[in-house]
Amino acid sequence: MSASEDQIDVERVLAGDIAAFEGIVRRWQGPLINLAYRFCHDRGRSEEMAQEAFLRAYRGLGQWRRDAIFSTWLFALAINVYRSELRRIPAQTVALEDIAEPADTRAPDGGFEGRDRDATVRRAVGALPEKYRETLILYYFHELDVGAAARSLGLPEGTVKARLSRGREILRSKLPQLLAVPCLKEA
Amino acid sequence: MTRWTARERNDDELNHILSGEGEILPSSGFAASVMDAVRREAAAPPPIPFPWKRALPGLLAGVSAVALVLVAMVVAATHLGGTAVSPELALSSPSAVAFLFRENVRSVAGWTLLALLLTFVSLKLSMRLAAGEA
Repeated sequence: MSASEDQIDVERVLAGDIAAFEGIVRRWQGPLINLAYRFCHDRGRSEEMAQEAFLRAYRGLGQWRRDAIFSTWLFALAINVYRSELRRIPAQTVALEDIAEPADTRAPDGGFEGRDRDATVRRAVGALPEKYRETLILYYFHELDVGAAARSLGLPEGTVKARLSRGREILRSKLPQLLAVPCLKEA
Repeated sequence: MTRWTARERNDDELNHILSGEGEILPSSGFAASVMDAVRREAAAPPPIPFPWKRALPGLLAGVSAVALVLVAMVVAATHLGGTAVSPELALSSPSAVAFLFRENVRSVAGWTLLALLLTFVSLKLSMRLAAGEA
């Protein structure tokens, strides 16, 4: 995805060529829908949320300052939209205290069945307090890039690192069986 | 052999689980649906701007009234502060309001009249503007 393509399309839209916005939608629909999906885990709703984000982006295109990368601006805007949307109608999550670790789903090698474990951990992330949940979601969405997560959230990197650490700590304390296995690794 | 702490192992495990979340593909009509919404948005009439010109006199009157009330309160507080130390006052009038009415009745009445006048003027102005609108 090229930044200059975004800039050209933005200029055209601002000049009155609405159809140029389709280029922006086509380039960013995947990331925006996937980001929304990580927040709500509902395919239909994630498309609705992404559509709202695109509409807000269309209304606010003039506010994009060219010194910032377009995607950073778009993600920050989308996160604000998703945040308000999820405050209005929260995603279906269970309380962190109510998330049960898989009782007896050990695989033959002694580990938990991968799918159960992954689902439980993701449910637990969804049940984290908002600031930790958002930080963890953005960090993994941006492929473990603290800087990108910080820019999307509009926070200093130090704050993001602190929230990541605290979020993981909460997960460890709530899922001790799944996430507290010390081991040795070959160098 | 390198010893991994439990925390490092956990973080690695978490990274593995949360990074591996599957991608979903947008439905085929998504972009078209967004563009429909964008076109509807573009075709909609622009929002009616706030009538600043009409509201300005009322707003100014309101701000002036608030400023006058504040000034009146400061003046009253100064009066009260200057005489509050008097033991006479403490004995005879424990209420500050009663004191104001007793000792500064003229000045308080003046401020009250001014406030009422301003309220009346701003009310009349609003009613006239509203009548003009209808």
